[in-house]
Amino acid sequence: MSRNVTVTVNQSEHTCEVEPRLLLVHLLRENLGLTGTNIGCDTSQCGSCTVLMDGQAVKSCTVLAVQADEANITTIEGLAQEGELHPLQESFWEKHGLQCGFCTPGMIMTAHDLLSRNPDPTDTEIRHGLDGNLCRCTGYHNIVTAIQAAASSIRS
Amino acid sequence: MSVAVGTVVEGMDAHNKVTGQSLFPGDLARPDMLHMKILFAGQPHARMDSMNTSAARSHPGVVSVFTAADVPVNEYGLIKADQPVLVGIGSNKTGGSVARFVGDQVALVVAETEEAAAEACGLIKVDWFNLPVITDPFESMKSDAPLLLPGQDTNIAKHNRLRKGDVRTVWNQCGSIVECVYETPRQEHAYLQPEAGLAYIDKDGIVTVEVAGQWAHEEQRQIAHVLGIPLDRVRVRHPAIGGAFGGREDISVQIVLALAVWRLAEQGILRPVKIVWSREESFLGHHKRHPYTIRAKWGANDQGKILAAEVELVADAGAYEYTSTKVLGNATMQCTGPYDIPNVSVDAYAVYTNNVPSGAFRGFGGPQGAFAAESQVNRLASDLGLDAVEMRRRNLLMDGSLGSFNMPMPEGVTIRQVVDACAHQARWTNKSYASPLSNHLRRGRGFACAMKNVGFSFGFPEECWAKIELHGSTEIERILLFHAGADCGQGAHTVLSQMAADACQVPLERVELRAADTSTSKNSGSASASRMTFMAGNSILGAAEVALHQWRSEERPAIGEYRFVPRQTTSLDDETGQCDPNISYGYVAQVVDVEVDTETGHVQVMDVVCADDVGLAINPQQVEGQIEGAIVQAHGYTILENFILRDGYVETPYFSNYLIPTSLDVPDSVEMVILENADPQGPWGARGMA
Repeated sequence: MSRNVTVTVNQSEHTCEVEPRLLLVHLLRENLGLTGTNIGCDTSQCGSCTVLMDGQAVKSCTVLAVQADEANITTIEGLAQEGELHPLQESFWEKHGLQCGFCTPGMIMTAHDLLSRNPDPTDTEIRHGLDGNLCRCTGYHNIVTAIQAAASSIRS
Repeated sequence: MSVAVGTVVEGMDAHNKVTGQSLFPGDLARPDMLHMKILFAGQPHARMDSMNTSAARSHPGVVSVFTAADVPVNEYGLIKADQPVLVGIGSNKTGGSVARFVGDQVALVVAETEEAAAEACGLIKVDWFNLPVITDPFESMKSDAPLLLPGQDTNIAKHNRLRKGDVRTVWNQCGSIVECVYETPRQEHAYLQPEAGLAYIDKDGIVTVEVAGQWAHEEQRQIAHVLGIPLDRVRVRHPAIGGAFGGREDISVQIVLALAVWRLAEQGILRPVKIVWSREESFLGHHKRHPYTIRAKWGANDQGKILAAEVELVADAGAYEYTSTKVLGNATMQCTGPYDIPNVSVDAYAVYTNNVPSGAFRGFGGPQGAFAAESQVNRLASDLGLDAVEMRRRNLLMDGSLGSFNMPMPEGVTIRQVVDACAHQARWTNKSYASPLSNHLRRGRGFACAMKNVGFSFGFPEECWAKIELHGSTEIERILLFHAGADCGQGAHTVLSQMAADACQVPLERVELRAADTSTSKNSGSASASRMTFMAGNSILGAAEVALHQWRSEERPAIGEYRFVPRQTTSLDDETGQCDPNISYGYVAQVVDVEVDTETGHVQVMDVVCADDVGLAINPQQVEGQIEGAIVQAHGYTILENFILRDGYVETPYFSNYLIPTSLDVPDSVEMVILENADPQGPWGARGMA
């Protein structure tokens, strides 16, 4: 029994006919071809699939597409504005906050939510904020540094 | 003049990675593609008596089902082709109907959707005849143990034997003798990107596989072997790779993808096939770090000079060989540490069991050996009342020392400088935490050092290929660098480009890299064994020299092709182990401060000081990133991670029960000291880093 879902993803509206059990992450990756949002686990541990839903970071593997009906979704592809990278994208690049890059979109979206609630976080607050996102390459240190740099850039 | 080497250059692929444009294997798509699912054996040791695929074949959406009878040459393996591609009836290789671990693959279902393929997998009926399951390597080593692999008269995959001096003659000269048994756990690579790939037959009839791997040409070789077709009919290309750490050294989905498109084409179906493993499939389907049991007896005289080391190592190789023999070599080397010990006796065994195979994982057996060696030195120092660093200083290898393999070390032994730099940076003293913090909180500080070889070693025929094209008229306007090296996230492609720019004395922006594709490059070897920077750098220097010579002769474009072959190493002598095992080494030392809650057992790693001699940091930012990441993986290995198998079955198949460090688990601070003592054979003096 399919249903219609209307979502605004990266500022463009899409209406899709979906199975009620379809996950938001599959809607994004398969129906809309937005493969920047990654799937790294089966159990909602890794956070690679994190996107913004109405400004709030959610693991898109734990949200049904039908729950996102009428919602405003931002994925990694929608973060840069008119070709200008978001400060978080700039800082992850400059501060070497990534290696293989698979966790990076989820990390950036989680950090986006964190900075919107706490524009001047301590390192410890950042580490708490990233607790639901796994990275196997970097050891997290440069990710924290990158988020601090972005926070400082956004504040100024 | 250096134009690009030794400076921080931001990762060339980073823009695509922060914008979501990087295409990992699971992101690839082609029109009209089909989806594949693999039926795993789910049996640690059993012979297939019958298999019925008719319900799966008639399931809606299913296009084809492939079994062992469909595999042209049903065997594969990196060092030894000892594993069936598909276990089952009709295999054309001896023993091909026996599953030897739960992750052996038995059938491939290709369907219009992944869901239909998965459903059809569940409809395949298999009757298994259970065989004795051996999960303990010590049981497996016994002469009356059932044999696990055909054509072998023992379950011991490899026995390394070192005999230097005579340990028996010196125990009575020792003021301290320490005897201990060390056990190290299995570890899962847990790269964030699960195995995935896309295969198709291109317009020229080439079987093409796009997949995450560490050695495109080896994957090409194994695919061609299984399909029984010439190498040039197979192409392997690596798109963005989501981490590897040794875990993609062996084959996962490459061969079965190629097999599927090959057999479909025979049926007249020319459609691409895609597979994406779940995390559970990834944990089940690829090898792990070897668990080791290491029994060590070391003795030192009253002055702290180590006189003898007698060590026995037993590694659980799991069901097939994978890289066990090479991993065992490194553990054999590392189990006596970076020390000049006159009397050494080592017996190291890799033993088959019905556990998930063991194989390459960062350090390649080194960490297991080093854990035992460093613990032994610390215990000896403590027993003799010596400072742990001073004890090491009295025993470290230096230029001209004979290592435990009884041959001179390659020139450029800098372990003493590394140990001193680390101790200095950490303001080392053994007595920092003499008194407890409280009733239940204790602090401790530890020191360890080690060496790490570059390359596959022990006589392996190393090679690395590069090609450079110089374009322009009066000046070099563009460099095209062709290289097969894989960038698994360690930044290899950025570093290769930096080295090409520097070798040609041209700004980095003019370098264009064509990488990791067997159709554009020859064999550059594996991105593993700390070899890529070292080998690739030398191949790029060679190619640049040829290209620049052509350029000066007015050739346009000027093309230089070069195959770097390093100094040949030798394999272990059967009786004494005497050999020249390695081309070159990097050296490391660490001081770690921990806090232990003696009531709960919780261990908090507070501060880490890490000194590495990297020869020359081609890209300091990337080098620091490697060190930080490796420390956190080691932290997980030591404190958090334990891949559990019970009777051959995986008990930790998810991130919910196999815990890797999060941002809250990592050390409070990591301080790095990067030493740059040039390696005489290294490109720009660089040693192995990644």
